[in-house]
Amino acid sequence: MSAPSSLDPLLTFLSYSLLKVQDIFFQLPGSAVIARYVRSSHQNDPGRTALELILVVFAVRTLLQSRTRTDRSASNFVKLTEKEIDELVEEWVPEPFTAPLTPAEVHELANLPVIQGASGPKPKLVNTGKTVLNLASYNFAGLAGNEQIKERAIETLRKYGLGSCGPPGFYGTIDVHMDLERDIAEFLGTESCIIYSQGFSTVASVIPAFCKRGDLIVADRGVNFAIHKGIDISRSNVRWFDHNDLKSLETVLESIEKERKKKGGKLTRRFIVTEGIFENDGQMLDLPKLIELKQKYKYRLILDESFSFGTVGRTGRGLTELYNVPATQIDMIVGSIANSLCSAGGFCAGSRVVVDHQRINGSSFVFSAAMPALMAVSASEGISLLTSQPSLLTTLHENIRAFRLILDATATVCPIQIPSHPASAIVHIQYRPNAPATLQVPTATSHKLSLSPSKQSNPSSLAPRDAQEFDIELEDKLLQDVVDEALSQGVLITRAKRLRGQEPAEPRPSIRIAITAALTKKEIEKAGSVVRSALVKVLGKRR
Amino acid sequence: MTSKKRSSPSLSGKSSAAEYLSALSHKDALARNVVGVNGSRVSSPSTTPALSIASSSMYTSSSDDTEIAELVDDGLSFPSVPPTSEIVYTTRHSEFGHCSNEAYRYTPHHDPSRPVSGHVEEDPPYYILFTTYISYLLLIIIGHIRDFFGKKFYPKDYRHLMPFNGYAALNSDFDSFYTRRLKTRLDDCFSRPVTGVPGRTITLLDRVSEDELNTFKFTGTKTRALNVSSYNYLGFAQARGACADAVEESLNRYGISACGSRSQGGTLDLHVAAEALVARFVGQEDALITSMGFATNSATIPALVGKGCLVISDEYNHASIRFGVRLSGASVRMFKHNDMKDLESLLREAISQGQPRTHRPWKKILLIVEGLYSMEGTLLDLPAIVKLKQKYKFYLYVDEAHSIGALGAHGRGVADYFNIPPHSIDILMGTFTKSFGAAGGYIAGSHALVSRLRLRSHANAYAESMAPAILTQIIASLSCITGVESSAPSSALTSSHTVTASTDDSRDYRGPVPASCLPSWIELSPSLRSGEEGRVRLRRLAFNARYLSRALIKLGFITYGHADAPIVPLLLFHPGKMSQFSRLMLERKTPIVVVVVGYPATPLVTSRVRFCLSASHTKEDVDLVLDACDEIGDLIDLKHGSGERWPLEEIKRRAVELVEME
Repeated sequence: MSAPSSLDPLLTFLSYSLLKVQDIFFQLPGSAVIARYVRSSHQNDPGRTALELILVVFAVRTLLQSRTRTDRSASNFVKLTEKEIDELVEEWVPEPFTAPLTPAEVHELANLPVIQGASGPKPKLVNTGKTVLNLASYNFAGLAGNEQIKERAIETLRKYGLGSCGPPGFYGTIDVHMDLERDIAEFLGTESCIIYSQGFSTVASVIPAFCKRGDLIVADRGVNFAIHKGIDISRSNVRWFDHNDLKSLETVLESIEKERKKKGGKLTRRFIVTEGIFENDGQMLDLPKLIELKQKYKYRLILDESFSFGTVGRTGRGLTELYNVPATQIDMIVGSIANSLCSAGGFCAGSRVVVDHQRINGSSFVFSAAMPALMAVSASEGISLLTSQPSLLTTLHENIRAFRLILDATATVCPIQIPSHPASAIVHIQYRPNAPATLQVPTATSHKLSLSPSKQSNPSSLAPRDAQEFDIELEDKLLQDVVDEALSQGVLITRAKRLRGQEPAEPRPSIRIAITAALTKKEIEKAGSVVRSALVKVLGKRR
Repeated sequence: MTSKKRSSPSLSGKSSAAEYLSALSHKDALARNVVGVNGSRVSSPSTTPALSIASSSMYTSSSDDTEIAELVDDGLSFPSVPPTSEIVYTTRHSEFGHCSNEAYRYTPHHDPSRPVSGHVEEDPPYYILFTTYISYLLLIIIGHIRDFFGKKFYPKDYRHLMPFNGYAALNSDFDSFYTRRLKTRLDDCFSRPVTGVPGRTITLLDRVSEDELNTFKFTGTKTRALNVSSYNYLGFAQARGACADAVEESLNRYGISACGSRSQGGTLDLHVAAEALVARFVGQEDALITSMGFATNSATIPALVGKGCLVISDEYNHASIRFGVRLSGASVRMFKHNDMKDLESLLREAISQGQPRTHRPWKKILLIVEGLYSMEGTLLDLPAIVKLKQKYKFYLYVDEAHSIGALGAHGRGVADYFNIPPHSIDILMGTFTKSFGAAGGYIAGSHALVSRLRLRSHANAYAESMAPAILTQIIASLSCITGVESSAPSSALTSSHTVTASTDDSRDYRGPVPASCLPSWIELSPSLRSGEEGRVRLRRLAFNARYLSRALIKLGFITYGHADAPIVPLLLFHPGKMSQFSRLMLERKTPIVVVVVGYPATPLVTSRVRFCLSASHTKEDVDLVLDACDEIGDLIDLKHGSGERWPLEEIKRRAVELVEME
C-alpha cells in the first residue's frame, strides 16, 4: 500500500509536466498542423511513424558526428579505456626524426663547392680559394653576369623594390610579369603564357592542374623528378613507355586504344608527358614523330622544355625551333626561366584556355608569391638578347661540339658511356664497366636502333624492359673521384645529385656537365681535356 | 666598383651640407605649420587627399630629390608632428609612411597567465545566414540555366568544356562551375595588375571590361591607392633605403642568378651567410633556404615523413602543406582549427589505435601547424601545443610564413611572442616574401636535421637556388630587425626596449648579429645598425594591427583572429558583398585596395575581406580605413557584432587607449 502512495506525487508531477509541455507546444505557431499530421499519419500507418522517427534520429546523429572523425566508426576500431590509452601513450616511442648522417654524407656536405662572389664561367671557390672553369652551373647561353641585364635589373629595383609581397591573385600581378608572359608567348609563338615563381615547381603544378583522378597519363620512364611528383599528385592513371622510345609509345597507345574499344566507357582526358631534353641523361626527343602519334591517337601533350628552351634551335626557342614545328601543336610547353635565361622561375605556354585555367588551378601559381619584378625583367631582357644576338647560341653549339669531340674520343679508351644527344648542352657521363669494346653511342635515333624488342615492357610498371644492373654506391664513389680529380686540375664539374631512396626510378649515377657559351672554344677544349684525363686516371685502369 | 654612386644613404647624397640643412629646415617648417593649423592630431577625412592622382604623376616623374618635393606636393597632413629622424630622407612616403609620434607604438606581449584565445566564431543574425545560402542557391540555379542555354546557342564559347574532335573536355564543366559562374562575377576584384612598389600605397593599372568581366582592357591610366593588402608587414617593400642600396650593390657584384641547384654548383657564399643569419634569428642551430615559399613546404615535408608515419594537420593549413603531405605518402588526420581539445583526443586515438588495420604503432607523428593563419588571423596556441608535445612525443613543425618578422617583441615569430624557447619546436619554417620584402623560404632546426634535409629535400637537389639579390635583401632586412653588433655597444637604446620577460630567453635570441656575419660590402646607416629602426617598425606594426582590429569591433563589425595579428579579417558573409565592398573601397576619394576572399578559400558562408597591416602605415592610414569601413558597413549592412560600440570619432580620438586595453 505504501509503495503506490509514495509514487503518487511523482505521478501527479509527471502528468502535470506533460500537460505543461503540451500547452507550450500548442502555443508555438504551426504546432497544430504538426500535431494533426502526426496524429493522422499514426492512425493510418503506425509503421510510418516509426520509420520517420528513425530518420529523425539518424539525421540528428549525422549532424552531431564530427567532421574529422571517420575512423572511430570503422569496424577496426578497438575500444580502450582511458587508462589503457594513457599506458599506450606512455609506452609509445617514436623513431628518431631523422637518421644521423653517415661519414660519407658528412663528407659530401662538407665538400660541396661554394662559390665566392658571382657565379659565372670562371668563379672562385671558397673551398680551395682557386679560380676554376665552371662546367657545373647552368649558364648555357652565357647570360650570367651580363651587364645589360644587370643594368635593367637595377632600374627595375629602383622602381619596384624587390619582393612582390603577394600572390598574383592579390595585387602580386605586376606589369612586368605580364610583359614577360607576352614576351615568352611571342618568342615561342603560342597564344598565351603563364609564369611561375620557381622552375622546379612549375611542371609539378601544371600536371595536376589538368590531370585529375580517372584521367590517363602516358609518360616516358626517364622523366625528371618534378614530373614524377606532378604525376604522383594528380592521381591519374599512368602508363609508362620505354625511355625515349617512340615505338614503345606507339605500342602503349595502341594497346590503350584497343582496351578502350573493347571496354567502351567514357572518353577521358589523355595526356602524353615527356621532356624535350631529358634532365636525367641528356637524350633528345624526336618531336615531329611524337606530334604525329599524339595527333593520331588524340592525346594532349605536356612537354617539359626546361633544358631545351634557351639551348637548342637557332635562337633558343627550343625543340619547336630545332624541328621547325609550330609551337601551337604542343598543348602545354613547360620550361624554366632559371636555367638558360639565368633568372628565376618557370613558365607554361599554350592556348589562352590552357593558361587561364592555371591561373585558378595551378597550385604553385595561386598559393605562392609572384616572382620579384627584377627577375621578370631580367628574363625579358634575356629573351631579347637571345633573339637579337644569335651568336650566343652559335657559340654554345660550337662549344658543345668541341667538348663532345674530346669526350666521345675518351669513351673509346675508358669504360664510360655518354647517353646524351650530341646537341644537348647538358652532358651526362656514366660509368659502364662491362661495355662492349666498340661502344655504341646512342643518339636521338636510338629508338630506331632498338629494333624488334624481344619482350614488351609492362606499361603499368616503371621498371624498364631490360633493366641495367648497376652498383649505385660504387659508381657514385668512382664518379666523385673523377669530379674531385677534375677540380684539383681547375675544372668544376658535378655528379648528378640524386635523392636516393626517394627517386621513383633510380637513375644510373652520372657526372653532369653543363656546357656554357661564356667560355671560349679554347677554354672548353682545355676543360674537356682535363675531364678526359681525370676520367682516364680514375677509370682507365678499371677497364 | 663604380657602384658607389647610389649605395650610400641619400643623406650624404645631397651635394652639399647647406642644401641638406635648408631642405631639413624647410620640411620642419612645413610640418610645424600643419600642426599649427590642426592643433590636435585629429585629421578630418576631407583634408587627406594624400593619395591623389597628382601624387602619382609626381611619382612617375621621379628624380633623386623627389623625397622632399613629394612631401610638399602630397599636401601631406599625415606627418602632423615634424619628422625628426633621418629615416625621412631614406624613405619615400608613398612606400613607407612617416610617423614620428611615439604614442603610436606598441610592444606586443603575451600574458602567460591568460589562456590563448582560440578561434572564436561569432555568428551573425540568422537572416544573414539564410540570405547568404539563398544567394548561393540563386547563383547556382542561374549558372546552370546559363550553362544549359549557352551550350545550345553559343557552342563555340563552351568548346573547352565539351568533348571535341575526339578529345575529352579540357576541364569538366562541373569542376569549373564555381569559377565560371561565381568567381567571374567578381573578377575585377582579383588579380588587379599593379606597378611600382607594393608599399604603403600601391599603383593600380586601371582596366575596364566590356564583356561582363570575361576580358579586361587597360585604359592606360593609373590609380594610386592605400594598400592594406600586400604582405608587407615590416614595410621592407621599398625601392629606396639601405636594403635597396644593398641589393643594388649585390646585383653589381653577383649578377642576377646563382645558376643551378644548391647541391649542383649553385651555392654561393651568400647562401651560407644568409642561412647562418636566419638560423641565429629564429633561434635554431641551422637553416636551409629555398627559392620559393610554396616549395619550402611541398619539397621538404616528403623528405621528413613517409609511409608508416602520421601527419596531424590543422584543418586550415596552407595548400603548400597539403601538397607536401600528399607527396610524402604519410597518413594524414586533421583536427579542428586551433582546437586543442580536439587535437588531444585525436592524438590519444592515433597513438592508441596505431596504424589503420594493422594496429602497428606509428613510426613517428608529425604535427604541422601554422604560427599565424592567413585567412583567419588566429594565432597558434603554442603554449598548449608544447605541453601536449611533452606528453605525446610528436614532432612539431610550425609554418611561420606569416608570423616570422610580424609577431613577437623581437619579430621572431610565435615562439618569441609566447616566450617559448624556439628549440622546443623541432622545425621552424617561414617565408621571406612577407616581412622581409624578399622571396622564398627557410627551414630551420637542429644541425642534424637540416643537414639531412640538405641531402633529402627535393628543392635542394633539383630546384634553382635562391638568387643573390634576394639573399641580399634577406640579409639586409634581417640585420635591420636585429641590429648589428658594433664594437662600442650603445646602452642608451635599451631604454626603448620595454619587454621585461624577454630577458629570460635571451640565450635563444642572441641579440644583434655580429658584424662579421654580414658581407663586408653591405652598408647600413647608424639607425639600422643599432636596431633602432627595426624596433620602431615592429612597434608600429603592432600598434596598427591592434588599433584596426579593436576599432573594427568597436564599430560593430564581426572580425576574426587575435588582436596582435597583423591580419584582420572582417566578415562579409554574402558573396555579393565581396565585390561591392571591394569596388566601393576602390571608388573612394582616397582609394583603398583590399583583398576579398570567399569560398573555396573560406567556408561557404564566411566570405570576408582581409586587411594586412604594415609598419609602413601611419595611424592616419588606419583612420582612413576605418572611415571607409564605417561608411560602407552602414551602406551594405555589415555591422552585426555584439558588444559595446563606440562612435567613429571617439575611436579615433581614443586610439592609444584602445590599443593598450587588455
